[in-house]
Amino acid sequence: MRRIVLRRLAQIIPLVLAVIVLNFVLIHLAPGSLFDVMTSEQQITDPAMLDQLRHTYGVDQPTGVQLAKYIWSVMRLDLGFSYRQNAPVLDVIMDQLPATLILMLAAIAVALVIGMTAGVLASVRVNTIWDNLISLAAVFFFAAPSFWLGIMMVVLFSVKLGWFPVGGMRTIGVNNGVIGDALDVMHHLVLPATALGLFYAATYARVMRASMLEVFRLDFVRTARAKGLSRARVVLVHVMRNALLPIVTLLGLQLGTILGGSVVIESVFSWPGIGSLLFDSVMSRNFPMVLGVLVLGSLLVAVANAAVDLAYLRLDPRIRAR
Amino acid sequence: MVVSMSKRPVILDIDSLRVSLFTRRGVLPAVDGLSLTVAAGETVAIVGESGCGKSLTALAVMRLLPDPPARVVGGAVRFMGRDLAALSEREMQRVRGKDISMVFQDPMTSLNPVATVGDQLIEAIRWHDKVSRQEARTRAVELLRRVRIPDAERRLNDFPHQMSGGMSQRVMIAMAIACGPKLLIADEPTTALDVTIQAQILELMKELQANSGMGLIIITHDLGVVAETADRVVVMYAGRKVEDAPVEALFERPLHRYTRGLLGATPSANRRRGNRLAEIAGSVPALSELPRGCTFQNRCADASDRCRAEKPALTPLLPGRTAACFAAEEELSRHGIAVGP
Amino acid sequence: MLPRTIDFARRFARNRAAVVGLLLVILVIGIALAAPWIYPRNPLRIVGRPEIWPFVNSRFPLGTDSLGRDIAAMIAYGARTTLLIGLCASITATLIGITVGAAAAYFGGWIDEMLMRFTELFQTIPNLIFVLTIVAILGQKLEYVTIAVGVVTWTPIARLTRAEFLSLRDREFVQACRAMGMSNLRIMFGEILPNALPPVIVLSSLVIAGAVLFESAVSFLGLGDPNVSSWGRLIGDGRTLIRTSWYICAVPGLAIMLTVLALNLVGDGLNDALNPKLRDR
Repeated sequence: MRRIVLRRLAQIIPLVLAVIVLNFVLIHLAPGSLFDVMTSEQQITDPAMLDQLRHTYGVDQPTGVQLAKYIWSVMRLDLGFSYRQNAPVLDVIMDQLPATLILMLAAIAVALVIGMTAGVLASVRVNTIWDNLISLAAVFFFAAPSFWLGIMMVVLFSVKLGWFPVGGMRTIGVNNGVIGDALDVMHHLVLPATALGLFYAATYARVMRASMLEVFRLDFVRTARAKGLSRARVVLVHVMRNALLPIVTLLGLQLGTILGGSVVIESVFSWPGIGSLLFDSVMSRNFPMVLGVLVLGSLLVAVANAAVDLAYLRLDPRIRAR
Repeated sequence: MVVSMSKRPVILDIDSLRVSLFTRRGVLPAVDGLSLTVAAGETVAIVGESGCGKSLTALAVMRLLPDPPARVVGGAVRFMGRDLAALSEREMQRVRGKDISMVFQDPMTSLNPVATVGDQLIEAIRWHDKVSRQEARTRAVELLRRVRIPDAERRLNDFPHQMSGGMSQRVMIAMAIACGPKLLIADEPTTALDVTIQAQILELMKELQANSGMGLIIITHDLGVVAETADRVVVMYAGRKVEDAPVEALFERPLHRYTRGLLGATPSANRRRGNRLAEIAGSVPALSELPRGCTFQNRCADASDRCRAEKPALTPLLPGRTAACFAAEEELSRHGIAVGP
Repeated sequence: MLPRTIDFARRFARNRAAVVGLLLVILVIGIALAAPWIYPRNPLRIVGRPEIWPFVNSRFPLGTDSLGRDIAAMIAYGARTTLLIGLCASITATLIGITVGAAAAYFGGWIDEMLMRFTELFQTIPNLIFVLTIVAILGQKLEYVTIAVGVVTWTPIARLTRAEFLSLRDREFVQACRAMGMSNLRIMFGEILPNALPPVIVLSSLVIAGAVLFESAVSFLGLGDPNVSSWGRLIGDGRTLIRTSWYICAVPGLAIMLTVLALNLVGDGLNDALNPKLRDR
C-alpha cells in the first residue's frame, strides 16, 4: 500500500515539470520578449528590479540555458517577484490559497451532497414525477453558467431577502473569536459554494442515477434482499457504496475545472482567493504572478488527483488487489 | 420412503401459483397454476429448461420477483400455515433470510464486491438476531467452519474477488443458513461451478440439511444434481408442472413424454452426475405463442389429436405421483395398470 | 449509408427533448444570422434612456442597459459571437483531439504513452486559469479566446478517438489494408477515421456547449474581445447594477443557459440515436 502511494505521488513530478516547460513556452509565445512586456507595461524603472528580473529569466542567454534556469528556479520554489504586492510570488499565492481551498472544498461538498442525494432519490423513484423533476433540474443547472447563477442568487438571497452577505469572506470590523469567525466565514461561504457546486451537483445527480440503476440490476443486490434487509438498507449500504465509484472517478477528472470555476466565482463574490489574485494579475499584466498561479494550481490539482486515486483504491478492493 | 416423508409436517405449500410477465407484447403466463409442497427435511428438485418458470417460482416464494415485469397474479404461498402474500413488507423481511433463505446461481456476482465476506455474513446475522458485533463475528467464523472453509478466521477479512467460485458459494450457503432457516431454496447452486466442486457443494447442502432438518428446494436443469440430492422431483415445462414423482420412481419410469425426453431414450438409464438434460428436438414455445392443448405437442413423438385439442390436466397416475400427459395415461391403461393414486 | 442516416434521424426524432433542443439551436442560429438585418446599426451604440426594464418600452423589448444600449440588439449580436467561438473552439478541439487520439492508438507503444501523458497534462492544468493565462499573454482577441478554449477542451475527444481507434485497429478490413501495403496515414485517415468519426462528432457537439460556457466566463471577467457584443460581457457590465436593474444580468444569462441547454439536449439526442442499445437498457 505504501509503495502504491509513493508510486502515485512520483507520477506528479513529470507532470509538474511539463507544466513548467509549458509555462516557458507561453512566455516565449508572448509578442515581443517577456522582458519587454514586463518592463513596459508595468512601468518598472527601478534598475535594481530590472536586474533581478533579468537574472530570474536570464534573457540574455540561449533558450536552452534559459529553460534550465527557469526550471531550476521553480524547483527551488522561486516563482519570481511581484512588484505589485512587493513580495515574492510564492508568498502572495500561499497567502491567498487557503481561501480558495475552503471555497473548493465547500463547493465539492455541496456538489456531492446535493448531487448524490438527488441521484439516489431519482434512481429509487425511477420514472416518477420525482425522477423527472430531478432530471429537469439537473439539465438546467448543467447549462447555467456558475457566475450567472451566483449573481442571480445574490439578487435573490442577499439583495431581496437579505439572508446572506453580498460578497467577501468576513464581516469587516467584527471580532467574535475563533468560533464566531468560523461561523462568519461559513455564512459568507454559502452562496459562492452553492453557485459553484450546483453545476457539479447536476453532473453527479445524472451519473449517480445511471450508476445506481446499473447496480440495482446486479446479482448481489438480490442476495442482500434475500437476506431480509430492508429496501433502505440495501440502497444505502449495498447499492450506494458500489454506485459511488464512478462519482469518485469523475471528481478526480473535474478537480481542475473546479479550481478554474472558483476563479470566476471568486470574482463574483469578491472572495479573497487565488482567483481574485489571478484576475488582478491578468488585468495588470503581472506575468510572474499569472504563471505562478498556473504552476501552483496545476500542482494542487495533480496532488488532489493522486489523493482521489488513492481514495478510489480504498473504496474498490478489486483495484487494490492488482 | 414416500410414506415416511409425508408424515413430516409440510412447511411450504404452494397452491396454484400464477406469475405473469407484464411486457409490451402483452401479459405472458410465466408460471401457470403451479402447486407443490415441501415437508421439513425433504428435498424437492424443480427441473426444467431455462425459461420454464422455475426461478420465478422461487423468487415468488421470496416475494422478490423483479417487478416490472413479473407479478404474482393468482394462487397462494403458505409457509408454516401463514399466507406470505398477506404479510406486510416489514414482516416479509423477517421471513427472508431468517425462515426462508436462498442461494443463487452465480456465486461470483452474488456477493457485494466492495464489502468483506465477514461484513456480509455479520450483517446477515445481526439483521435478524440482535447480538453484539463480537458475538456475530464468532458465529460467522463458526458458520464458515461449518461450510468447510479452511482458515475461517482469516477468510472473514477477504473480499469476494479473492475467493474462488466454490469458496464464494460456500460463503453464500453460510450466509443462507446463518439464522437457521426452515427452508432453503437453492437456485442452480452448482451450475456456475466446476464439476468437482459441484459434488462438494451438493454434499455440503445435504449434510447441513441432515443436521438441521430444514426443507430444501433445489432448482436445476441438471439431472445429475437431481439424482444426487432430491427426494421428490417436480418437472416444469413452459410455466406448468407436468410431472411430480419420488426420485427413484421418476428415474425408473418417467411418465410425461417431456420427462422421458429429458432422461434420454432409455427410461431406466443409470444417470450419473454431470449429465445435463438430453437434447430434445425442437424448442420450447414462446410464452406469447403457447398452443391450444398440450404445450409440449410440437416436440412430442406421441402427440395425438387429443393432445393438440385439449390441455392435459395433472392426474394422479400411479401411487404418489402425478403427470399431465394423455400419452402416459393411455399407455398405462393399455398395459393394464390401473390409473389412480 | 442513406438508409442508415434516415434510421438515425428517425431515432433522433423519437427523442422529444432532443427535438426541442434542435429547434432552440436553430432559433439561436436564425437570430445570429438575422441580427444584421434586424439591427442594421452597431449594437454597442447608445439608443435610448439607460435602465429601461424589459417589456416596458416596445422599442426595446428586452430593455436597455446602464448606458442606454438596446439589450435585444446586443443579445442578437451576442448570439453570433457565442456560436462562432463555440463552433470554432469545438473544431479546434476536435482537430487536436483526433490527431492526438488517433496517433496514440495507431502507433501504440511509447508514442501512445507519451501522448496520453500529454493528454493527462492538459487535464491537470486548471482549464480556466490556462485560458486566462493565454489570453493575458497573447491579448484580448476573438481568435485567441477561441484557440485558448479549444486548447483546454480537446482531452475528452482525444480519449474517445483513441478508444474508437483501438477497437477498430485490429478489425479485418484494416488488416486487409495493411496487407495491401497501404501507408499508415492512408489507413489511419482513409479507413479507420471514417468509422471512428460518428461518436467523436457527437462528443464535439457537446464540446460546443462547454466552449460557450468558457467563452461566457472569459467575457464576463472582461477578458474577451472588447469590440464585439457578447452575452458574458453583458452580464459582467450589468453586475454593478444588480440592486436596481438585475434584469441586465438575467436576460443574457438566460440566453446562455438556453443555448447551452439546447446544445446539450441535441448532443444527448445524437448520442442516444447513435447507441440505441444503451438507451433501451
